Amino acid sequence: MPEIKAPSVEQDKKIKLSNTVILFIILVVMFALFSYIGRPFFLSTLNLVPMLNNLSYIGIVAAVLTMVMVTGEIDFSIGGNIGLTAVLIAFLLGKGMPGWLVFVIALCVGALMGAFNGFIVTMVGVNSMIATIGTMFVWRGIGYTLSNGESMLAMDPFIDYIGRGFLFKVIPFPIVILIVVFVITYVIMDLSKWGRKIYAVGTNPMASYLSGINVKKIKFINFLICGITAALGGVMLTSLTAVGMPQHGQGLELVVISGIVLGGTALSGGKGEILGTLAGTLILGILYNFLTIMNVYYYYVQIVQGAILILVVSAYETRQSMAARRA
Amino acid sequence: MANSRKRYSELKGFLRTPTPTLIGIYILMIIIFTIADRNFLTIQNFKGIFNNFAVFGVMAAGVAIVMIAGGFDLSIGSVAGFVGMLSSVLMLENFAVPTPLVFIIAIAIGCIFGLINGLIITKIGINPIITTLGTLSIIRGACYFSDLSPRIYNVVIQDLGRKFLFNTIPYTTIYIVVFFVALSLILKFTRFGRDLYTIGGNETLARLAGIKVDRIKTITYVLSGFFSAIAGLILISQLGSGRPEYAVGAELEVLTIVVLGGVAVGGGKGDYFGIFIALVIIQTISNGMVMMDVPIFLRQVVKGALLVLVISIDALRSRQRLRLY
Repeated sequence: MPEIKAPSVEQDKKIKLSNTVILFIILVVMFALFSYIGRPFFLSTLNLVPMLNNLSYIGIVAAVLTMVMVTGEIDFSIGGNIGLTAVLIAFLLGKGMPGWLVFVIALCVGALMGAFNGFIVTMVGVNSMIATIGTMFVWRGIGYTLSNGESMLAMDPFIDYIGRGFLFKVIPFPIVILIVVFVITYVIMDLSKWGRKIYAVGTNPMASYLSGINVKKIKFINFLICGITAALGGVMLTSLTAVGMPQHGQGLELVVISGIVLGGTALSGGKGEILGTLAGTLILGILYNFLTIMNVYYYYVQIVQGAILILVVSAYETRQSMAARRA
Repeated sequence: MANSRKRYSELKGFLRTPTPTLIGIYILMIIIFTIADRNFLTIQNFKGIFNNFAVFGVMAAGVAIVMIAGGFDLSIGSVAGFVGMLSSVLMLENFAVPTPLVFIIAIAIGCIFGLINGLIITKIGINPIITTLGTLSIIRGACYFSDLSPRIYNVVIQDLGRKFLFNTIPYTTIYIVVFFVALSLILKFTRFGRDLYTIGGNETLARLAGIKVDRIKTITYVLSGFFSAIAGLILISQLGSGRPEYAVGAELEVLTIVVLGGVAVGGGKGDYFGIFIALVIIQTISNGMVMMDVPIFLRQVVKGALLVLVISIDALRSRQRLRLY
């Protein structure tokens, strides 16, 4: 009688770890390669600090979107959310509101957007891909309406500090936010009970429901957090550029989702690693930065972004179907 | 007797589709817009409405097939933009490609893009939304191969989207009616058409029943590319030039039209009569907003909100039992 062996949790963790380790090795190799080819600009602080600042707002959104994607849903409206938040901040600052209040309002509006997405996905039951494509246009349209299509100056000591300040006068503040968000999401996903539930929901919602998990609640809260984090990303981007533009965050969903999938998260849910997302986002961020340094025309970078999304997803799909065939 | 009963059940089936509701909404809209602006209910205005929906209508013809088979195509706007841009560059004096060849190249390019979409989706098995989101970005980037925005002097292309039959009916409306009728007949009476519904209804079952699912799905994407290419030609004809940013965001509008027309988002349901009504409704809303001086950016909000509303209604309608998770 053949012995049936279930993969143990340790084994599972080892496989996950090895994926992430491979990604980090790729990251280091790419970094070294680009530093050599793109010398002397790539490795200068003038390039690295803005690059990391830019990556930090993308990274926090990616971290939280990973949580949404592990439950088997997706949120395309993050870019629109950032656009609306940016305009809102500039608009409210222009009305003479204090920076901290604007910050709080921006996050609250982000929470509302996330809650709306969560509501139509969990309560009404719309496919999240299509629902959030719709809301993406709505958020950005509201941004355009509010700003009348113009860019508005957004200057305020408090807001400035979030995107351009330095902690202890050395560490750029966006990077601090990036690290904090990644630590929190890592703790949630890998160490807490809530995280186990998220994985369970993504793997089999029916079984999770039958074993007493409130599937709708978990999905809803994930969307809510995603909205808040995207709004925080919007604050960071506005602060970095000192302008509230309705075009902020356009096409962001492409970059973020490719980074997440590169990090090993399955579109079908149930699989995903926060550290993998970090590695994936950093790899893509460095790549796009390198392309810009090498003077690649902006619209061709768009081609590369689309191609990478398809390539990465294809690679994972192929590997998965090969593994299924072997089993 | 049996005949009249059959007709009765057909009528009942028709009443159960969203089409009667759509017609009701449309009549209500016409009344409201007419009260708001008395220039609305004029032949001149309706000539404009019917001519303006040509691009979206032709695109919707292709997207509907894809969606009935359970797929999705977001790359239509980019394909139309690229085809328009390429054809207008080809017609420049220094290339001077003959008109029939321009048509052939344009349609071939559209079909090739569709084929690529279809092959990635069926052979590799990626989610269609993700695939076409990627190709949307790739093809839109490729539109910028030239910095020019060539004007169209070619008479054939100019007439394609601008002429009116008997000075009242736009040629483009005739194309759309021809396309829609032809596709309806294909959907209803050919094996290919019936297979589309089967695949959209239950793909695994269709596979088990021996339907060549992958091949048929690929064909739907090729058709979608084909219609997007025609839409691109009509677009440059109506706008009189080719520019890389044409038809950005067309997927939003077309998606709204197709879902409003009664095509189920998961596939397996839908007919062209409903889509035609939805097309007229959406274009009338756009037109009415212009006449009522709604700011351009607010119009985008309204369109996005309309999509969310329409898909919510679709989700509520197709929900058979209580959703527990």
